[in-house]
Amino acid sequence: MSDDTEPDGGPVVDEATERVDGSTDDLLERILARDDLVVVGFVLSLFVFPYLLVNLLTQIGEAIGFSIGGYVGLPTLVLIFGIVVIGFNLLLGYTGLLSFGHAAFFGVSAYAAGIFTAEATAFLPTAVAHSPLAMVGVGTFAALVIAWPIGFVSIRRSGVYFAVLTLTFGQMLYYYALGPGAWLTNGDNGFSDVNVGHLLGTFELEEAILGADFLRAYTWQYVFVAVAAVFALWMANRIINSPYGLIFKALGQNEQRVSFVGLDVFRYKHMAFIISAGFAGAGGALFAIHETYIHPTTSLYWITSGDFVIMTILGGTGSLVGPVLGALIFEYVSNVISGVSLPVIGAIGSLWRFVLGAVFVVIVWVFPKGVYGGVRDVVVALTGRGDDDGGEEA
Amino acid sequence: MSLLSQAVTILLNGLQQGAVFALLGIGLTIILGTMEFLNLAHGALYLIGAYAGLLVFKEAALTNGLLYNSGIQQVGLGAGFLAALVLVPIIGFVVGALMERFVAEPFYDRAETDQLLVTFGLALIIEELVKQVIGGNTFQSIPPETLLGVQASGPIGLPIVGSFPRWRLYIVLIAGVVILATYFVIERTDFGLVVQAGTRDSEMVRLLGIPIDRSYTLVFAMGAALAAFAGLIGASFQTISPQIGMERALVPAFLTIVVGGAGSVVGAIAGGMVLGVVVAAFQQTYSQWAFIVMYLLVALVLVFRPQGIFGSVEVGE
Repeated sequence: MSDDTEPDGGPVVDEATERVDGSTDDLLERILARDDLVVVGFVLSLFVFPYLLVNLLTQIGEAIGFSIGGYVGLPTLVLIFGIVVIGFNLLLGYTGLLSFGHAAFFGVSAYAAGIFTAEATAFLPTAVAHSPLAMVGVGTFAALVIAWPIGFVSIRRSGVYFAVLTLTFGQMLYYYALGPGAWLTNGDNGFSDVNVGHLLGTFELEEAILGADFLRAYTWQYVFVAVAAVFALWMANRIINSPYGLIFKALGQNEQRVSFVGLDVFRYKHMAFIISAGFAGAGGALFAIHETYIHPTTSLYWITSGDFVIMTILGGTGSLVGPVLGALIFEYVSNVISGVSLPVIGAIGSLWRFVLGAVFVVIVWVFPKGVYGGVRDVVVALTGRGDDDGGEEA
Repeated sequence: MSLLSQAVTILLNGLQQGAVFALLGIGLTIILGTMEFLNLAHGALYLIGAYAGLLVFKEAALTNGLLYNSGIQQVGLGAGFLAALVLVPIIGFVVGALMERFVAEPFYDRAETDQLLVTFGLALIIEELVKQVIGGNTFQSIPPETLLGVQASGPIGLPIVGSFPRWRLYIVLIAGVVILATYFVIERTDFGLVVQAGTRDSEMVRLLGIPIDRSYTLVFAMGAALAAFAGLIGASFQTISPQIGMERALVPAFLTIVVGGAGSVVGAIAGGMVLGVVVAAFQQTYSQWAFIVMYLLVALVLVFRPQGIFGSVEVGE
């Protein structure tokens, strides 16, 4: 069954034997191997995610004496970066291009969305100019527009040269926003004139959808971002499982063969780059909505690009939701664990980046498939593989 | 200021900044060329060099960090700048050798992306380690008062330019000597010949029966020593903080070798000087545009002359 959609899902032999077994264990593996079921699982988990992250962890934290609970905005932030890295993974995990300049699309979109809310009231009704939907539209469009020329130039080189080229374009935009472009971006003081209106003219984004305390993390903003994240994942799934997306994967595996088949390698890589930038753009606009403040260092600087790389690798390339898991770990550790204070060492504080670096090295070294891939392997090893070993010995 | 004196000032400032870029670039390029290994922790070696220089040269007053919290308010040897000039490259050499043995070596046969990622993680670890132990605050630059009994601080009168900071002139001289020495080691010694051949075709060198693997550690350590030395030079005229490795060293080092041509020592020197002079020229005239123009220049070189100004091969393509 999964042979049609995901040939790399696992050894074919395993699945054949398991199909005969028909046990519940192999159902689990089949679910993990099927991308569209992963999307369904993602949607379901979004319903409980804020409760688990904010309420439950806070309660556990109170019980054991550490403040490990997330704050109300955290689930939203995780999903915003989740959207970015879903797109980043299309490029790195499937097409095999490592970009160190995706902050450019993230940041340009954030600025475009913010400046739009500040300036568009001159020629549009306020309800439209401050609409979150319009912000995302404008931001994503801006990201796509600059991704076209940047991709057009960068794709001509590969490997390190591609990474350095994307980095140079990102850095040019960063220094522009910081210095000469200050008339537009307010430079180093940051752009704070972001006016976020009500969603669809009715829903205040900062408000919880219901008054109950156990639902306090379910704000309209979360609902908005969650819908966007589902849409992003669904679209990535559609792309990857389409004939077009198949060529992306083929490019990641062997570029030369793709060109031998007679396909225009440049065009497909360029398209993958632009699509991936669109995801970063959507995330950037949502980031502007979430923060209502944009600074060149949090949006355009190359360290932000590096963060996208870390999240993607941490979660796991080559699987659709893996990078979202990476975004969750990254944001959780940087926003929550960094505030935890331990009895002997004291406040963890900035130590979090050290821990992150160490975890990152271990993951690249030992689990090239990331946390998601690692967990998946463990699950398979505990269930399916165990049965198979027995079968082989007999 | 006349046009000529302005041009000469730009050239001197450019050479001084370019010398740091060149030192970084040579280190990165010999590692990249010989082992085809991409070291994103190169900036971290610069960072180690800067802090090692600070601690050997002076007794630094701490304000936070692990050492401060455990009651140590002053740390450092206070052994003078000459000692730093000698010790810092040695420290860099040792760190580089260890790095090659334990981090780089297992990754020689793995994908380029894996090399980038693991060294990126290592760079994060080293940066955080420095921040945790010595503190995240910014230290002032450490220009020496005297060196070998010669006054090194204050202005010096030069023809055409007029008054110029004496230490900045000395930086050009000291870095120039080190760059020349490296150039001679690479160009005129047997060891250099092996390294050079290795950058062209390491497999062929191995087939000729030369144990190039043994040279790997030495090359890596040498590159690291140069990066650490660049860190010391950089620290003598710029502030020192844990971020400098990523911000002032890693990216410029890559830009330098990309402009000069990867795998070429002469290219790294030329690339460093070109970038240094361009940045200096714009810093003096349109300072806001200096870095934008620097990155633009690199992008143009990559697009129109991907092998770099002096390079003949494209690494990793």
